[in-house]
Amino acid sequence: MIGFIKKDIAVMKSNIKILVLLTLLYVAMGIFGDMDISFILPFMVVMVMIQTFSYDSFNNWNAYSLSLPNGRKNSVRAKYITTIIMILIATIITFILSCAISYLTTKSIPIEKIGFTMLGTVFGTILMLVLMYPIIYKLGVEKARIAIFIMVFGLIGVGGLLLSFIDLSVVGKTLSFLEGYIIEILILLGILMVYISYRISLKTFSKKEF
Amino acid sequence: MEYSLELKNVGKKYENFELKNVSMKLPKGMIMGFIGENGAGKTTTIKAILNIITSYEGEIKIFGLDNRKEEAKVKEDIGVVLDDMFFPEIITPNDINDIMKGVFQNWDSKMYNDYLKEFDLLPNKQLKTFSKGMRKKLEIATALSHHPKLLILDEPTSGLDPVARAEVIEIFQSFIENDECSILLSSHITKDLEHIADYITFINHGEIILSETTNELLEKYGVVKCTEEQFQKIEKKDFIKYRKTKYEYEVLVEDKKKFKAKYKVDVVDKVTLDDFMVIMIKGEE
Repeated sequence: MIGFIKKDIAVMKSNIKILVLLTLLYVAMGIFGDMDISFILPFMVVMVMIQTFSYDSFNNWNAYSLSLPNGRKNSVRAKYITTIIMILIATIITFILSCAISYLTTKSIPIEKIGFTMLGTVFGTILMLVLMYPIIYKLGVEKARIAIFIMVFGLIGVGGLLLSFIDLSVVGKTLSFLEGYIIEILILLGILMVYISYRISLKTFSKKEF
Repeated sequence: MEYSLELKNVGKKYENFELKNVSMKLPKGMIMGFIGENGAGKTTTIKAILNIITSYEGEIKIFGLDNRKEEAKVKEDIGVVLDDMFFPEIITPNDINDIMKGVFQNWDSKMYNDYLKEFDLLPNKQLKTFSKGMRKKLEIATALSHHPKLLILDEPTSGLDPVARAEVIEIFQSFIENDECSILLSSHITKDLEHIADYITFINHGEIILSETTNELLEKYGVVKCTEEQFQKIEKKDFIKYRKTKYEYEVLVEDKKKFKAKYKVDVVDKVTLDDFMVIMIKGEE
């Protein structure tokens, strides 16, 4: 599987300049601006990883990968592992930069707040990954983009409708016992979501023929 | 006899095409040329062998093992070149070396780098700067560099100039000097196959029409070139197919000697793979 991870990283290398530029933009915004864009680097890492699916399809890599030992399983597994590693690296870099900006400027943001923002960013990008990858494996990158667009708006619509019927204060009281375990819940939920998403993607890719 | 590859009644249905009961056997230490016109089923067969398509009927054994149940094991020993280019064009030959180290247990970086030198391929140039022939050479170098026992090559010499083709064919010939190693080679360049293939398997409209040794095919079969009047005198059971050209009839016969003796003709041309394919595909019965 290491070979498949190396392949995705090799393909990503062509986008390294964009990621460096975004990091510089983040530093500049952190020093001179007021807007918090600490999500930008992990988010862009996922977008760049999605781009690797386009390269795989365009260059017929998918068919060739299936001729390699454990090609089906390793292809899918490598995509998930590479993306998660990249998200974590991007988050750690952003965390360090945020702490440095906070220390070097007059903003003095508490480290806990930076940590929570980063945790939210990791959860958000993982959510993107778990939703998008099975759809990409099923439909390909181009159709998946449209499907995700429809899905997000659908979820917002359904969510909005549900919220109009639900009394949030009652829900808040019912779930108040979970308050001290937010980090653990997010981590467990993240792992569970990644596992389910991976299984769906693997099953979809196992049926694909090129 | 031990076989590197055995296909038994392999079938696959598509909307507009069907692979029907494909059976063939490739003995160890041999090269099998796999021929047929475009769309005849060569690539589909190769994809079934490699499990790139999975929902096919029949049985495929590689080194005596089921290619679906023992997939990971058999694929360690297979080198592949597919018809289409398959490496991402923004990576370099050096990247491929790194990638394959993590894919094949027996990956041999030294062997790979030696092939890059032999083929004049720059290791740190992106593949998008390579010509089609250079990419093919890179794919062949990659297929050979993990010490495979079976090479499955779909049009590996397409896009190569005659010098590079001769070089590659020499490499294939030295590959099978080891009696354990074999090659399944699909190619439209039938001249190459006549020189290096021990067996020829011919597929047409998804069906295997013939699978036998190259010597037997080229020595036994023949083409009779004659006028319409002479053609009318040939009994139907004495030829396989015929083709009417602008000036003459080309008649494919299965046994040159028998035909010569029966019809008292002096000249029955030796068949070439090109003649064979053209008459079999375009000819009438």
